[in-house]
Amino acid sequence: MENINSLWDLFQQKNLSRRSFLKTCVTVTGILGLSPMMIPEVVSAAEKRTLVPVIWLHGHECTGCDEAFIRSQTPLASDVLLNMISLEYMDVLAAAAGEPLEHHLQEVMKKYNGKYLLAVEGAVPLGDDGISCMVGGKPFVQNLKEVAKGAAAIIEVGSCAAWGGIQAARPNPTKSVSVSDVISGKTIIKVPGCPPIPEVITGVIMHYTLFGQLPPLDSKGRPKQFFGNRIHDTCYRRPFFDSGMFVEKFDDAGSKAGWCLYKVGCRGPEAYNSCGNMRWWNGLSYPIQSGAPCVACASNNFWDNDSFYERMPNIPVPNVIANADKVGIIAAGALTAGVLAHGAFSAIQHARHHASKPGPENDKE
Amino acid sequence: MKRVVVDPVNRIEGHLRLEVVVDEATGKVQDALSSGTAWRGIELILKGRDPRDAWVFAQRICGVCTTVHALGCLRAVEDALGIEIPKNANYIRNIIAATQMVHDHIVHFYHLHALDWVSPVAALKADPAATAALQNTVLDKYSMDLKGPVEFDTDAYPKEFPKATTAYYKGIQEKIKKIVDSGQLGIFSAQWWDHPDYNVLPPEVHLMAVSHYLNMLDKQRELVVSHVVFGGKNPHPHYVVGGMPCSISMNDMNAPINAERLAAVDVSINLAITLASSFYVPDVLAIGELYVKQGYVDGGGLAKERVLGFGDYPEDNYSGTSNGDFHKNLLLRSDGVVENFAQGVDKAVFYTFEAKDLTDPDVLTEGIEHSWYGDTANGKDLHPWSGVTKPEFTGPKEGTKTDWKYLDEKGKYSWIKTPKWKGKMAEVGPLSRYIIVYTKVKQGIIKQPTWVEKMMVDQVDAVSKILNLAPEKWLLSTVGRTAVRGLEAQVMAYLAKYYFEKLVNNIKAGDTAVANMEKWEPNTWPKEAKGVGLHEAPRGGLSHWVVIKDGKIENYQAIVPSTWNACPRDSKSGYGPYEASMMDTKVKIADKPLEILKVIHSFDPCLACATHLYDASGRQLAVVHSDPYLNV
Repeated sequence: MENINSLWDLFQQKNLSRRSFLKTCVTVTGILGLSPMMIPEVVSAAEKRTLVPVIWLHGHECTGCDEAFIRSQTPLASDVLLNMISLEYMDVLAAAAGEPLEHHLQEVMKKYNGKYLLAVEGAVPLGDDGISCMVGGKPFVQNLKEVAKGAAAIIEVGSCAAWGGIQAARPNPTKSVSVSDVISGKTIIKVPGCPPIPEVITGVIMHYTLFGQLPPLDSKGRPKQFFGNRIHDTCYRRPFFDSGMFVEKFDDAGSKAGWCLYKVGCRGPEAYNSCGNMRWWNGLSYPIQSGAPCVACASNNFWDNDSFYERMPNIPVPNVIANADKVGIIAAGALTAGVLAHGAFSAIQHARHHASKPGPENDKE
Repeated sequence: MKRVVVDPVNRIEGHLRLEVVVDEATGKVQDALSSGTAWRGIELILKGRDPRDAWVFAQRICGVCTTVHALGCLRAVEDALGIEIPKNANYIRNIIAATQMVHDHIVHFYHLHALDWVSPVAALKADPAATAALQNTVLDKYSMDLKGPVEFDTDAYPKEFPKATTAYYKGIQEKIKKIVDSGQLGIFSAQWWDHPDYNVLPPEVHLMAVSHYLNMLDKQRELVVSHVVFGGKNPHPHYVVGGMPCSISMNDMNAPINAERLAAVDVSINLAITLASSFYVPDVLAIGELYVKQGYVDGGGLAKERVLGFGDYPEDNYSGTSNGDFHKNLLLRSDGVVENFAQGVDKAVFYTFEAKDLTDPDVLTEGIEHSWYGDTANGKDLHPWSGVTKPEFTGPKEGTKTDWKYLDEKGKYSWIKTPKWKGKMAEVGPLSRYIIVYTKVKQGIIKQPTWVEKMMVDQVDAVSKILNLAPEKWLLSTVGRTAVRGLEAQVMAYLAKYYFEKLVNNIKAGDTAVANMEKWEPNTWPKEAKGVGLHEAPRGGLSHWVVIKDGKIENYQAIVPSTWNACPRDSKSGYGPYEASMMDTKVKIADKPLEILKVIHSFDPCLACATHLYDASGRQLAVVHSDPYLNV
């Protein structure tokens, strides 16, 4: 590929030595928390880095995922758009419209055949030949199939692309499905969320631009670094769950004290996402911190797991207030057998953490 | 005569197709068609759900104007169930709404609209030193000294301010050059950068504006900190029926809202005031004046004839919308219809729009003459409550069902219905709000303007003075529609500050309630209830309509701003606002209809919002029998 714009190019242009380039790579490796074994890979990534061409398509969606994408703080949206990727087609931000834009898409697909990343936002409606979502006078599903052919990999941005999303909720009037329901034979990365956390979207791009490869994925195709934990297990309100201290209704004393929201419907125990550890706006808050129960917006079919304020079935909770030290004793009671099982699950997870050294490749599931 | 298709229309939310017939000799647009080419069926998905969940679904109608459909929905459900939200919840929701407005307008102008006016390629010809000088001139000339009330000024100095140095602009220019030289133009690819309209502005304006494009791209996220603090995230922050979930306590550790959280919101609102006043307003006026001076005052379209608004921003609590209480203490009384503003504010005609009009089957209706739905009422338009949605996709005029060449302007051509006020179409949006408030104040219909209304009128008068034109000469144009959005962002930033101070004062007075849970349990609800929720969303007047029966949603409808604006024509009432504005726009080069993009973008189209539901299997959707406002 032409138009090389790597870190090494930059050093050469600025007449900086190879030695200082290598030193920078070592520092970068440290900042990223990688082992010194990774230094050669970082050096090679910095030498070869080109702006990854990205094509971003829209199906049945609300554009909330584009909005999330530009909300990223680390990296900032401008740095992503100008220095990390070359966003060749995205109708939300593109200067051009209509025929010139579609023509440009064809050219990009040819020029970077097999090398571009395809990001898809939105579900794929299949009902009535897909006429409920027409782009450039053709059903979106046709465009998607055509563009997917030459993609190096596909990113399903948001729960609509990843699972079908809200339009696929019952009765699914447009017969909408996920991208992976219509595309096969490609590496597909699921980045669910409604929308995903901004830094999770750009984190996947960051990983690809830094390391030249896709991030490690779990069995469902989600990047492990962002979807490896349940919110329940990373939630700062978890001790209140364990102690049986719950919000019973909105704006009660427990709500003011920031107790566990499980009884007012929180889906934290089934939600795999980074809200608990990363939070939104680089640690500012997440729904639970703002007093709102999680709706598990990154989970498959969460829309039909309503009502959202009904507590999740099958997870009994402790119903007495106790301090954390006493939970073990209370758990002996028959009423809280479920908590015991829950605790045992956590213990297994805990043991796994210790069994394998933490690192970017570590599989926690 | 040449027929030009623009599909997909870029830099919008959703899927929009435009077709224009241009007389190449004169540049006149002989015919214009606007088609919403996608629908998702969210109203149908809402049927049978718990009304307390409805806002979560309705919110996903749109992620650009995130929060607005949640708010419209909450107001509708609370209206139906007779729930009065606490004072604090009203303040917090209005802070969220006002900051959303600032955010949405800024992203619209800089990231969805600016590239119609401004070219990175043209910026390469700029002299960085002259650009720095220009920045100073722009701040001097166009920073109108208009401010909202600020009781407790926490902002020591304007933190984010336009950088007016030669070195800075040189750096930006070098970066643009590198991108252009690399050939990887990314989002700047394939535009008609050689279009003559890009010569209207001198290169220095291009460079200044491109640099602000980048500044705002990185700053906009900080404008919605209030959404993350009060609602946990953005897009799509969380609410709860009855108020807000974010409990307030200065006595507990771990409370969602405490003094530190409020400080985060305050800093963000201060930023909103600075960005609107020091970047947005001066930029949009500088660009606007250059265009107006060169005679670009077309694109007014239907706004010349008729604009409509619902009014919003309750000063304090209200007991409901359909009982008229919502409209009793609004800060922004843009409720009503103004006709004939093109003849000047004195000759404009004002009509009221009151709570009773919401329920009158002859006031608000929707037609389907050119929409892909079948006629079920013998050509009669229906009130949204009794609307029947029977899909009837008729295909294009030329091409096939799945490969369109031209749509059929004589037949059906859009998934968007045609909403009407007393059988007539009307434009909604920031321009409409300004025209309505300006008319009401100048004609003495509003006798004691609120500070919001006074500031709006003062802004219009100040800009008219700068341009040396009467309001009707510049407001009713593409430039006017775009400029007013900037003015509104400034008012809304101060409005967020105003509500923030009300919130603080109310907490100080000992009231920390954020949610009214008295009617949370369905057994406290009536067997059947109907409600309507209104909101002046960034793109215009929004109404959500709900029927609740046996604790579940029986019917749900939303008539959103982009339905009003993007709707297809009608044989009785003429062209919709998008279409009328295109017909009122001259196109220099038929193959490169930049002016068409510009005028359509001036509405800030939001298409996912605009389309109606439809059953893909071709069955007729259930007719609403529980119509609350029609005696059927």
